[in-house]
Amino acid sequence: MNPKWLKYLDVNAPRYTSFPSALFFDERVGADVYESALSRVSMYEPLSLYIHIPFCRQLCWYCGCNMVVENQYERAVRYVDLLIREIEMVADTLGGCGEVVSIHLGGGTPNYLNIEDLGRIFDSIELNLGLTDKANIAIEIDPRLCETGLIKMLTKIGINRLSIGVQDFDSSVQEAINREQPYELVEACVTEMRENAQADISFDLLYGLPRQSTEGFVDTLEKAVSLSPDRISLFGYAHLPSKLKHQRVIDETQLPGKLPRYQLAEMAGRYLVDEGYVCVGFDHFAKPSNSLAVAVHAGTLKRNFQGFTDDIANATIGLGVSSVSLVRGVYAQNIKRSDEYASRVSKGKLPTAKGWIKTMEDEFWAKVISDLLCYGKTDLHEHAHISGGSLSDLMAVSRKRIISLEKDGLAEWRDGIVIIPDQAKHFSRVVAAAFDPYINRGNFSLSQAV
Amino acid sequence: MSEAHDCAFQRANASFCALCKVREQSICAELDLGEMEDLAKTMAHRPVKEGKALIAEGEENDSLYIVVDGSFRLVRHLVDGRRQIVGFLFRGDYLGMQPTESSFHTAEALEPGLVCRFPHSLLDELSVRHPGIKNRLLARGQTEMHKAEEHIVLLGKKTAEERVMSFLESLRDKNEADDDTIFLSMSRQDVADYLGLRLETLSRTLAVLKKRGDLQEVSGRRITFNGSASD
Repeated sequence: MNPKWLKYLDVNAPRYTSFPSALFFDERVGADVYESALSRVSMYEPLSLYIHIPFCRQLCWYCGCNMVVENQYERAVRYVDLLIREIEMVADTLGGCGEVVSIHLGGGTPNYLNIEDLGRIFDSIELNLGLTDKANIAIEIDPRLCETGLIKMLTKIGINRLSIGVQDFDSSVQEAINREQPYELVEACVTEMRENAQADISFDLLYGLPRQSTEGFVDTLEKAVSLSPDRISLFGYAHLPSKLKHQRVIDETQLPGKLPRYQLAEMAGRYLVDEGYVCVGFDHFAKPSNSLAVAVHAGTLKRNFQGFTDDIANATIGLGVSSVSLVRGVYAQNIKRSDEYASRVSKGKLPTAKGWIKTMEDEFWAKVISDLLCYGKTDLHEHAHISGGSLSDLMAVSRKRIISLEKDGLAEWRDGIVIIPDQAKHFSRVVAAAFDPYINRGNFSLSQAV
Repeated sequence: MSEAHDCAFQRANASFCALCKVREQSICAELDLGEMEDLAKTMAHRPVKEGKALIAEGEENDSLYIVVDGSFRLVRHLVDGRRQIVGFLFRGDYLGMQPTESSFHTAEALEPGLVCRFPHSLLDELSVRHPGIKNRLLARGQTEMHKAEEHIVLLGKKTAEERVMSFLESLRDKNEADDDTIFLSMSRQDVADYLGLRLETLSRTLAVLKKRGDLQEVSGRRITFNGSASD
């Protein structure tokens, strides 16, 4: 690694799964604004649904998601009732417009729900919003809750993309994060998926976890690749104990230092590319035939709340607690607390808590940032028209913002074209953040960029 | 793209037009006999082969088509190549109400069919002498817009039974034979896509409707209503 890059390993930056980052959302966007955005959706406009299932059977100490350990299943049943109510409200506002092209069930643990309750959600989507066999339907799976027969039933209700939270196969790492799931368990899960002709299986791997070593992580990668997943997401663990109390259980002395952490990411990326995976953005990997890799070559790759995606929809409708919607330039995030969510939805009101209305200038920076993250390159000439401002002003501002990054070799400037050199792609978020006009507003707990 | 240009009926005469099943619904109803004879020399029924596109999405179209026989599905392509069925055309339906440089959708023949093609330039000419033509076009409304409204109403229905039943009833209303049996010229997958349902849900719903007595028989593409229950 270039020694000049060392200092950037300390830099924190948003993940830019949205722009502006959800951290900057405010209360100016409420249910009324979101509703008016929904009512502008046109006929057949592709819609992507994100459904948040916040329940887990057990707490993983590294978790940064909005989740709750739930022992009373009745609460989950009531939550599904509320989700259905929310779907109905959204459908009433859409009035038959929009077409659902993809659904993503995330969590928490979506397979905390039993098959009947998952089925109820899909039936409600079908009847209220329309759902056809063409839709891509993805679900995140906790292999520990993947009982025999579950995959078959999930396949039957139309799920065609499965994502397994693997994290790390090393049992001592698993112990240190309170997520013990032997390789055999994951293997059995994958076998059942393949038996049911599932052709888009994804693994989540995490680097930067306690007790991780290069040798151990190579072993994890070997095991992962041996199961031949169609995609792999390689995320850095975000250690934010001041914000997430349960992360305080993690022994900080066991966390890899910033340089070893970087080396894990770097090594893992190289390993997967050597194994024939296509690097998508900077932290996703896909088999060359997978739709995500195809999207890279087609230039249709997008950044959304799940990371990188080949989803064709520009509009995302988030359902359930803390979900974020993006409809017609309006971000709307739902209430995070489930009791408040319940009380709003049961009164027949959309549970929007906060959001953001994108200005033309936001759209411009969003495009620049998305380009940099997806392709490591952006051409300001191409996007200047979006901003409504003058190209020369935008060029001057942009040049100024990256001048120090340029000196350190993290970015190149070629007359309005910004390029992140291939070796520096792990620093993509750092470069992206340089273009973020909101980044210095206030004191937010951002995660480590690399 | 226009299969309709190659046709066996080019020499058809006015009497052929006089026998036309959709004449009363077509703009020809506004013309006198002499003009119909003139028109018939160049305009009469043109066959369209099954699977052929009458007009193609994104391409120029300068003609009005009136479906004389057969049926069509209106398809729009999504950016990733997937298809969206946005409607169906049956006997008497209009297509290409306005000349356009880029058609909104593709009209594909679901079975061998017949259409009449009227270039809009000719319609403009004819309308000078027969203002009824313009009125008729206006009265037809924008068939395409009407189709969109029809579809959105269907998609807005909250139960699968309602969606399927209103779709089947709309087909029955087009049925000139005036009996309770209809033939679906489109595949079940097309129907499911159009109704925003999964194929399995469509099949299950047809079974429910039969069990409930709304439908007497469902056998492949042939569906018989239960006469007593539907009135």
